[in-house]
Amino acid sequence: MQDPTILILASLADGDKHGYAIMEDIQVFAGIRLGPGTLYGAICRLEERGWIRAVKSESRRQPYRITAEGSKHLREQLALWGQVVRTGNRRTREA
Amino acid sequence: MRTLIRWAARLYPATWRNRYAAEFDALLDDISPSLGDLFDVLADVLRVRAITSVDACLVSGPVFPMSVRLPVVVSLTAHGLIMVLLLLAVWGHVTTMPLHVVAPLPPPTPDPPPQVTDARVFPNALTLYSSLPLKIPAQGGTLPLYVADGVGINFLSLPDIGAVYRQGNAEWRVWPGQALESFIVRRVLPEYPRGTSARGVVSVFVEYLITRDGSAKVLRTSGPPPFAGAAQSAIERWIYRPLEYENRPCEVLSRVEVRFDSEFANSGISR
Repeated sequence: MQDPTILILASLADGDKHGYAIMEDIQVFAGIRLGPGTLYGAICRLEERGWIRAVKSESRRQPYRITAEGSKHLREQLALWGQVVRTGNRRTREA
Repeated sequence: MRTLIRWAARLYPATWRNRYAAEFDALLDDISPSLGDLFDVLADVLRVRAITSVDACLVSGPVFPMSVRLPVVVSLTAHGLIMVLLLLAVWGHVTTMPLHVVAPLPPPTPDPPPQVTDARVFPNALTLYSSLPLKIPAQGGTLPLYVADGVGINFLSLPDIGAVYRQGNAEWRVWPGQALESFIVRRVLPEYPRGTSARGVVSVFVEYLITRDGSAKVLRTSGPPPFAGAAQSAIERWIYRPLEYENRPCEVLSRVEVRFDSEFANSGISR
């Protein structure tokens, strides 16, 4: 699962974060370092789709929050991947 | 490198720059950018430019007035330069690769032992992370479940995530508990303390440090002694794979809430 949009949604699922915090969080939990272009490309797409929104902030570091639609999409994707992982594990055990 | 990336970011369309330039600048101040980051930004510029060019064509049709010709020429020139840079980078990368690479596959990572806390204690918790599933798989299956009756662990949302605290020569990075799940090797669930007269829900907040060898050391707890003691003795038996940040070993600070609910203790759900 290397889709940056899903990684960002998963990172925001436990609270608001700004770009650097998202980048660091993803590096820790997924072992993937998103480049700044990839990160902001994905943030831009997520905002356009209404899955995250910017939270008012006085700082230059703009925090983002996952929306209800974003949480729903994340859950759907995780459920799908969970099914793929379970099937893959079962079949590799059977092989 | 930071300056080069800032220069590359100027190639984004004006709408993108108006919206994201300030925070993108702040991000560049926070990271140590590499050459890869420069190409990452250039690739995204190309993607955004391609999308906005298509949009502009759809909106304005085939007629290009004089006022837009110059920006289009500049944009196409920039794209050409980016393509040349990318091709040079790929060519350099390919020519430095050896012809035959024989490397042993890394050993498979053992799955962490499947364990769950009592889902009834945190009924609204998200189930995002696999090594601590709070729900039994819907289709059943053979996953062995070891449930601590009346005890739940909740990963807190940390307001200072990513912060670095310095203690003498030591450097502690704050990471949330769920982010550390892929590194867990052994988790011991706290047991509900026997012989206590407490009724209802008791929460214990635990701040712990994962040292360079992967062991967990509790720094602070808050809560009544028998419950705080139960949480501490369990967490201090957790073991993680040694953590690294930017290819250097590091120590990580995290916090969890351990909740004890007398209503579900000894209710017979385990195993």
